Amino acid sequence: MYLLWLRVAAVLYAGGCVSIFPAVLSKSLPWRKTCVHLGGMAFFFHFVSVVEMLVQAHRVMPVGVREIESLLGFAVAGLFFLAWWLYDAISLGIFALPATFLLVFIPSLGPDRYWFPSQRVWMSWLVAHIIALLLAYAALCFSLLASMLYLVQERRIKSKFKSGPKAGKTQRWQPLEWLPPLDTLERLALATLEFGFPCMTVGLLIGSVLVQETSLGAAYFLDPNILASFVMWIVYATLLLLRRGMGMRGRRAAYVSGGALVVMMAVWAINFFSQVHRFGPQ
Amino acid sequence: MTLALIGVNHKTAPIALREKIAIGRDDLAETTRALAATPGVAECMIVSTCNRVELLSVVESPDAPVAGFLSSYFGIDASILAPHLYEYHDKDAVSHLFRMAASLDSMVVGEPQILGQVKEAFAVARAAGTVSGQLEHLLQSAFAAAKRARSETGIGSNSVSIASVAVDMARKIFGSLEGRTVFLVGAGKMSEIAARHLVQQGAGAILVSNRTAERARRMAEEFSGAVVPQVIAFDQLYEAASRADIVISSTGAPHPIFRREHGQAFLQKRRNRPMFFIDIAVPRDVDPEMNELDGIFVYDIDDLQQVAASHMEERSRQAVDAETLIAAEVERFQLRQRTVNVAPAIVALQKKAEEIRVAEIERIHSRLGTLSAEQLAAVEALTRGLVNKFLHPPMQALKQAARDGDESRLETLCDEWSVSSAALAEAQPASEPSAKTEPESPSAEDPESKRVLNLRVFEGGKRARR
Repeated sequence: MYLLWLRVAAVLYAGGCVSIFPAVLSKSLPWRKTCVHLGGMAFFFHFVSVVEMLVQAHRVMPVGVREIESLLGFAVAGLFFLAWWLYDAISLGIFALPATFLLVFIPSLGPDRYWFPSQRVWMSWLVAHIIALLLAYAALCFSLLASMLYLVQERRIKSKFKSGPKAGKTQRWQPLEWLPPLDTLERLALATLEFGFPCMTVGLLIGSVLVQETSLGAAYFLDPNILASFVMWIVYATLLLLRRGMGMRGRRAAYVSGGALVVMMAVWAINFFSQVHRFGPQ
Repeated sequence: MTLALIGVNHKTAPIALREKIAIGRDDLAETTRALAATPGVAECMIVSTCNRVELLSVVESPDAPVAGFLSSYFGIDASILAPHLYEYHDKDAVSHLFRMAASLDSMVVGEPQILGQVKEAFAVARAAGTVSGQLEHLLQSAFAAAKRARSETGIGSNSVSIASVAVDMARKIFGSLEGRTVFLVGAGKMSEIAARHLVQQGAGAILVSNRTAERARRMAEEFSGAVVPQVIAFDQLYEAASRADIVISSTGAPHPIFRREHGQAFLQKRRNRPMFFIDIAVPRDVDPEMNELDGIFVYDIDDLQQVAASHMEERSRQAVDAETLIAAEVERFQLRQRTVNVAPAIVALQKKAEEIRVAEIERIHSRLGTLSAEQLAAVEALTRGLVNKFLHPPMQALKQAARDGDESRLETLCDEWSVSSAALAEAQPASEPSAKTEPESPSAEDPESKRVLNLRVFEGGKRARR
């Protein structure tokens, strides 16, 4: 029975994950209420599931990776709700709720490994995983490009087109005349992040499901490439939180994007050190 | 008398210097009167805009201390000011004035504000009683030339001005101006024009604030259009500014009213949404340091000049035509001045001929016997016609010599026709186009002058009959 409550909790956490973003990034009150209600219910069912799981087993200590994952998710969610209750820090939910969902999702599949009905289904999920992550990286690249162009355009406007030796000459700055307005670049950087982040999240989730069918198990998540991918997800979420939630704009936001670019390059470089998840020739 | 023009403009002096000698609208009359009190200055006026301060004067000699006036009046070391000053005399001064009024010397060629500013400066000088005949004539000619240049060439088309340059910059920052809030600080004409441009581009709200609330209200009322401006009390300036995307400042404040700390507060309130400050005030209203803040863009009048350079190209062709037209107008003015100068000689010649004619009629009057009124009128007409026909060639010759600027020929002609060259000499240096010496009025071709001469002849005839 505990598995049923855990699955209910996972579904409710998923709803909480979806609603936390408009609640924090757009400061939408209805979404905030929805998120708190869904998260609260999820936490309740999660609690029921954990208690039932431990009572059924006649022990208080969790046994096995899935039980530990579930308990860890419970702890993360508990700390988040405590922070929300004490400090009204709902923005932490951007990290806490998806992490909890991820920690609950795998155990909710059941004590045994989940087997895909056929190789074709497995392949379809793999394709979806690859496409989602590629879209996420493409969106991030676009966002970073927009941020870099923002810096160039901002510099031109701030310097009043005096940067060249022939200051004020039309010819000096005409080659960059095609650059879009700053506001357009800013919107582009944010919109691509908003598009890419769900792709990244979905891609990682699918990847987590796909990997449980392999024999690697938890060791898979210790691979540098996989770890870096999760770091990338945190970077993505941080960028979104800074831009949308905290109103970071302009030059500072572009510099932070520059930092994200470095992380992204590192993730791609780490690919060559991975033993279990490597693109290209093995 | 010499026409002298001395000044600084955006090409010769940086804004830091120009703002030190800028003369506000309220102080212009007093400063003009102070200039008029300078020894050797007969007439004068001052054009003071954000881009230039120019002293136009009729002086007794080119050595009159007009240049010293600027340094002494504003307490600036002459050695600091001197490298930035330009000085023109007579024809060069006329040419510069015509070009300035036609907006050919402006930062943005073809911008319409300068003509209004010159007219306003002239009106102030006239009210202060510092202009009379010569400057009056010169300025009217300059206005006519400027009007021609605007209407007959394309320099006034496409509305390239400081305002439109500011709009272009706003578009580079905000993209679409749809729904943006514009805040006008100070009720200047230029800022009003810039705001109108922004509203045309879709700006959604206009806020107006001025130290004098009444003036802000008047400006808001005059601002007819799709957007109804909201008047903001000056003590709520900073609160309102944080709501605005674009701030156009043109107050007469001696120190910056928007400083770095204000910019930081605005950004905090606006959650870092960008702001664009268009500072068209001299002295500047916005501290240039604000431009260093992330999300705040400040353009002062000199910065807009840099951007305006890109728009200049479009007008360069029209400007060439306008330059040609203005050069022709300057030449025409000079010609008219020279013709005006020869008018006393022509009047003297006509007067002498008329005296001879009247004397001859009187002399033969007794021998004419009893002539009827019709016969007497016929004699009058005959003699008048003869005199006019005889006078035509010398008058034309005098005018032609004047047009050619041929001084020696003028003197020779005066000698030949026994006309006193004193009148000529008296009129020439001053180039005084007073009503008495207007060429048109005493000319033989002019119907009014004919009427005067006829009257004299008629009176002479009557005296003779008596």
